[in-house]
Amino acid sequence: MAEKKIEELTYKEASQELERIIRALESGEMELEQSLESYTRGVALVKSLRERLDSAEQQVKILEKDMDGTDTLVAGEAASTDDTLSI
Amino acid sequence: MTGWNLTGKSTRPRAATEPLPWEQGATPGSIPAAAAATGADGGGAAEQAEQDPNILTVTQAVGLAGATLAELPPITVLGEVSGFRGPYGARGHCYFQIKDESSSLECIIWGGVYKASPYELRNGLKMRFTGKFEVYARTGKMSFQISRFEPVGEGLLRQQVAALAEKLRREGLMDESRKRPIPAFCTRVAVVTSLSGAVIDDVKRTLRRRNPLVELICVGSKVQGEGAEAELIEALARAAAIEPAPDCILLVRGGGSFEDLMTFNDEALARAVAASPVPVITGIGHEPDTSICDMVSDRRCSTPTAAAESVAPAATELAELLATRERRLAAALSAMVADGKAGLSRALERASRAMGERLSREELSLRALAARPCLTRPDETVLRRAAELEQSADRLEAAMARGMERQAASLDALAARLPAPGSLIAEPRHALELALARLAREGRELTAARGADLARQAASLDALSPLKVLGRGYAIAYREGTVATSATTFAAGDELTVRFADGEVAAAVERVDAK
Repeated sequence: MAEKKIEELTYKEASQELERIIRALESGEMELEQSLESYTRGVALVKSLRERLDSAEQQVKILEKDMDGTDTLVAGEAASTDDTLSI
Repeated sequence: MTGWNLTGKSTRPRAATEPLPWEQGATPGSIPAAAAATGADGGGAAEQAEQDPNILTVTQAVGLAGATLAELPPITVLGEVSGFRGPYGARGHCYFQIKDESSSLECIIWGGVYKASPYELRNGLKMRFTGKFEVYARTGKMSFQISRFEPVGEGLLRQQVAALAEKLRREGLMDESRKRPIPAFCTRVAVVTSLSGAVIDDVKRTLRRRNPLVELICVGSKVQGEGAEAELIEALARAAAIEPAPDCILLVRGGGSFEDLMTFNDEALARAVAASPVPVITGIGHEPDTSICDMVSDRRCSTPTAAAESVAPAATELAELLATRERRLAAALSAMVADGKAGLSRALERASRAMGERLSREELSLRALAARPCLTRPDETVLRRAAELEQSADRLEAAMARGMERQAASLDALAARLPAPGSLIAEPRHALELALARLAREGRELTAARGADLARQAASLDALSPLKVLGRGYAIAYREGTVATSATTFAAGDELTVRFADGEVAAAVERVDAK
């Protein structure tokens, strides 16, 4: 299996891979050696996902037109921590 | 005359129509005539005693008013619905007032008219009502009986929106089948709205709180007023063109008046939403507002906040999901190990059971073999044979004894029948003795003569015997066992045997001298 490094996966990709691994393990059709390998990978995925979930910070960008009219993404402000909604 | 103006203040609706008859100075004569006409069916005969034609009965007065109003051509009134009641019961009549800033007018729409109309009425709706005034004879109250009504202003706008919605629906733009699936967890979301309003903040805050993993890309645009539609269309295209493409586009704006939200009922914008290569989620205005953009979008949410919440599961849900998966992962592995173990012990059990069965089968057959008499009592055969033999011996003995007895008995019987031994042979024996005596006598006579001859012949034969000759000094030469009669048969070196009377000599030829 050509696996990407876990750090290179997006949260969603890592999450999807984890689910695939669990399903494969749950199907019970895997060789024991392979299942141990998958299990190890699964544990690493869980750890990485949990870290990301705990330390996630909102990313906000703004699509702005340059002088020449092309669109560029510039960093925007994340929401304030004030939880009240105005609408 | 003004006393007959039953409403007293309904000057405004009148402005929209032709001048009313009584304002044009109706001829005095026409009024009593009308009163008399209605009075006849009015039934107030008792009052007829008053002969002053200028004094009317109530019935006459109401009838006069009714008749006068009935002469008016249908009029059209612009008013706002209030106090709407109906449709009532099976007939479905509706009762309400229409009003403006200073007046109100009682209205009736008969059920049949209301049902046939494509529009519905509710309080606050501004509409154009066409109908005639009627006076109810029993109370003298006047009402406006409406035969037709249609929207104006916002109402008209709503009708236009409804027509556009119908058109787009017929084109299939609202079909469920063309709504694109939106990932349950959008991680990259473009937000098309005004960047100056509170809405963008609300979206950011909502998602920050709900799921900070969602990356937001804000694309600013006017959301109302002149040119807002075109800007929104452009913003949608710009959002869809972002690289890498967002998972979805949130098209949102806060609440506003119906006119404010009309931007989102624009046909071109609606078509742009439907055609967007990236799925569009709308959250426009508040709960009851539904725009055409909502109808053609891939997912319609009631507010911008709801739209923002719909793009991704809450972080807490993700954490729960993760915890669940962690448990499943561990459970799957232990199940696997347990399965393996169970499989092994099953195999072991099967193997030992099979072995056990095999062994007990073997044991049974061994037992069967061991139980056979040849092994349990190996001497039995011998004993049986011995017994049989004994029986046979007994039988043989008995048979022998019986046979001997039978033979003895028959011998005895034969012996009894046998004549005395001497009696049979006495005579032949005597004859034999006589013959023997004769034979002896004759024999002696015969041999005496022959004996003398034989002695003579023997004496001469003895004289002629070569052996006798040899005795006289002769010898016989043998060559290879045969008597050699000629010297020529020999060659020097040949072997020969020479016989003398008392023995033989082996010799070799030295020389042959033939004569």
